[in-house]
Amino acid sequence: MKKSSIFGLVVIAIAIAVILSIYSDSSTYGSFADAQNTTSELHVVGHLDKEKALDYDATKDANYFSFYMKDNKGQECKVIFTGTKPQDFERSEQIVLTGQMRGDEFHASNILMKCPSKYTQDKVEVKEFKANQAAI
Amino acid sequence: MDTPFKGEHLLPGQLGQFFIVLSFGSALLSAISYYYATTNKQDTSWRRLGRMGYLINTASVIGIGVCLFYIILNHLFEYYYAWQHSSVDLPVYYIISSFWDGQEGSFWLWTFWQGVLGSILIWRAKSWENPVMTVVALSQTLLASMLIGVNIFGERIGTSPFILLREAINLKETVPIFASNAEYYHNYLTYIRDGNGMNPLLQNYWMVIHPPTLFLGFASMVIPFAYAIAGLWQKRYKEWVQPAISYALFAVMVLGTGIIMGSFWAYESLTFGGFWAWDPVENASIIPWLILVGALHVMIIFKNTGHSYITATILVLISFVLVLYASFLTRSGILGETSVHAFTDLGMKWHLIIDVLVFLVLAIIILAIRWKELPASKKDEETYSREFWMFVGAIFLALSCFHLVVVTSIPVWNAMFGTKLAPPTDPVKHYNIIQASFAVVVTLLTGVTQFMKYKKTDVSRFFITSAVYLLLAAAITALVVYLTGVYKLQFVFILIMLGATYSILANGKIFVDAVKGQTKLAGSAVSHIGFGLIMVGALISAGTSKVISENTTGEQYSADFVAAKNDPRENIMMYKNTPVQMGKYTVTYVGDSISSPNHYFKVDYKVVDKDGKVTEHFMLKPNAQANPKMGLVSSPDTKHYLLSDLYTHVNMSNAITYNESAQSEDGSGHDEADDDKNYEAPVAYQVAVGDTIPLREGYAILSGIEKLDSLPKIPLNANDVAIGAKLQVVADKNTYNAEPYYLIRNKNAFDFSKTVDDAGLKFRFSKVVPDKKDVSKTKIEIMVYQKPASARKWIVMRAIQFPYINFLWSGTIIMIIGILLSIFRRNKELKTT
Repeated sequence: MKKSSIFGLVVIAIAIAVILSIYSDSSTYGSFADAQNTTSELHVVGHLDKEKALDYDATKDANYFSFYMKDNKGQECKVIFTGTKPQDFERSEQIVLTGQMRGDEFHASNILMKCPSKYTQDKVEVKEFKANQAAI
Repeated sequence: MDTPFKGEHLLPGQLGQFFIVLSFGSALLSAISYYYATTNKQDTSWRRLGRMGYLINTASVIGIGVCLFYIILNHLFEYYYAWQHSSVDLPVYYIISSFWDGQEGSFWLWTFWQGVLGSILIWRAKSWENPVMTVVALSQTLLASMLIGVNIFGERIGTSPFILLREAINLKETVPIFASNAEYYHNYLTYIRDGNGMNPLLQNYWMVIHPPTLFLGFASMVIPFAYAIAGLWQKRYKEWVQPAISYALFAVMVLGTGIIMGSFWAYESLTFGGFWAWDPVENASIIPWLILVGALHVMIIFKNTGHSYITATILVLISFVLVLYASFLTRSGILGETSVHAFTDLGMKWHLIIDVLVFLVLAIIILAIRWKELPASKKDEETYSREFWMFVGAIFLALSCFHLVVVTSIPVWNAMFGTKLAPPTDPVKHYNIIQASFAVVVTLLTGVTQFMKYKKTDVSRFFITSAVYLLLAAAITALVVYLTGVYKLQFVFILIMLGATYSILANGKIFVDAVKGQTKLAGSAVSHIGFGLIMVGALISAGTSKVISENTTGEQYSADFVAAKNDPRENIMMYKNTPVQMGKYTVTYVGDSISSPNHYFKVDYKVVDKDGKVTEHFMLKPNAQANPKMGLVSSPDTKHYLLSDLYTHVNMSNAITYNESAQSEDGSGHDEADDDKNYEAPVAYQVAVGDTIPLREGYAILSGIEKLDSLPKIPLNANDVAIGAKLQVVADKNTYNAEPYYLIRNKNAFDFSKTVDDAGLKFRFSKVVPDKKDVSKTKIEIMVYQKPASARKWIVMRAIQFPYINFLWSGTIIMIIGILLSIFRRNKELKTT
């Protein structure tokens, strides 16, 4: 066998190993119900329940933040995040959590939130112009 | 929409749109003409037409830039792009970066650089001009089409930066008053005083220079691709490689610089706590770079030995297709839930896909047609030859690139196959481990190959020298690993350390030889040393970075938090003026300073030795912007030591409010009376020069009274008298100067207050109390406003120590110097051959 063919085989083997490792490391998007049935970490997509209280008080504990989220199937669950409250959390439109269930609370290791308004806020703000000379 | 609107400036937009159409037309003309120039070699008029087209294209691209820049600089908010990306209070250098804040602007950068590079090719490419420029002009045509923004058959093609605000947004819907009142709508511009402004995170000097560099890198990657296509097309199979090497080196250098600038920006101004996070947008920039580095090495193999022609060609072809694919990933909105940074879709998804497919199909077809004629090497490479192991290294670079592509494209697979795969839950760990494995092989090979020769190597000598260096590297690695604490990490990271050290040593030897004049490989040796240092720096600083703001007191934890046994307690809360011990530092939040729009938190660091002596003392000022449109955005501040960095950022605070930036602006249209409500009831003091006014947290001295000849913002008439009261304010051990002033106009008196936001003070020069007998005893009345002593201020802060990160940055600079040396050498070779 030619050396290049051996090398080719090695490369293919590595490529397959890479794909397998990606596959085993990748997780799935799920709901809180799915999270209840598994011990592994997964992604849950949903949105913040703005009617229930967010709990973050830096003077008590700067690393504890909890809130209620509704997943895309409508199920609601208390979420606990060990860190500071992400800036502008209240304005988020969609949240992607990474984490797992502990009891009936979802412990998030990562929060990714989308505030579409952050980059493309198509809301024209109309400000009435007040003359500067008012003081004179 | 046909009613004329008051105050609009339509000319720059129309001119700009004209240039866009012209740039598209001329690029297309140039591509077609160059195509015929290549197929009809006798007829030189085609080439002339092609050149003309391309130069017109470049000129009109510059025209587009000038028009857009004019619009942004003059705050013409009737244009959507200016309204969306800039605002009145942006300083000029950030106005430059708001230029490429949006997709259209970054496309412009790309097409601009491609225009410049194409013009250089016209001047330099000689016999390669026609076929190479056909490809470049084709690419330029496709880029121009991204900006064109016209409707054809109901589909918008591209997105123009010259769209008007009223065309982009239905003003009548968003602002009801415009719908009900035609007069208001007619004057709509008088109500739109300011634009959306730029994301505060992008307001950083690196954002002025990082995008142009990155896009110069992307743009220059078309050249090796164009040479490869031209070589296949013209059957000049072997010749295209040599001129393409210089351009590939250039692309590797510039794109590499751009990527590192981006990571430096992330390190300096983002708060994820590091320089690299494997975000899909970051991956998208490094994917083409990795493959081009691989391609470059195989091209060098081919040039020196005649082996591996097909691999070199394929890698070069893929590299450019991957540039386009990367731009599809980041611009089409497909990354959606996996990336924080990607652009949102502007309805160009299919346009971008077509762009990728055009070049992919072109590459595949031309390869297929010429496949049988390609110069394949009949003989296998020797096992102990440099070319064989260089080839292996290049293939491993390609494999690492393959891994990045597959993982980053997970949303693409989901869209194509309807799966619901999510990226790895701990992406950083996943990428780090797999990429590290490839890096081990690559770094080791950059060392080993230095001891081999092309074609055939003296085996026994090779084994002895490489083994000696390996032992030396192992000894150094063991020492470094022990001292820095890298041994606590996964084993593969220790192997990288070994590989990188080995590479630095081996290439160091070659560099010494080159200095002595024994070899011409100085460039490659230096760039490999730089690469090794980058690996060492990245590994130690990321692997052993330590959060020093750990909350060790345990006091603040809530019960269920402790019960959950969560451990990252990385944030610490600090009350103003209450010191907290953090590692060896005594850290105190001592105050704030506001320089609109930034709010700086002053954090004082002290190192106190056993005897209570202060051995080190410095202040870090991490800042935050409370941007009413974009929310609270914070950026870190970093203390740079030679061997480590201390990185601090504030996550939360009760000291910052949303409207403070509006308050601190100098009298910009808000009510004086409203402002007074923020203060306690004022106290009036009658003082002469030299007198002291007591304050709650200090005092103020009237150091002088002066007649002013001009006032900011207010023109003075001949009969006006303006007097300023110079106050020296000392509060909280800081000294400030304030000069409220007093104006007499037409027998009426007006006064203008001055605030010292830092100290929560405001002064009014309210009255002059003349002393008729002795003018020098004239007193003035100063009204002092003080903000109430509010609840104690606090911040929540995170501080991280990054050891040896300077290896990373200095490695980058060394690598760039090395590549530059190589470019000079290759260009010299080109001239002599």
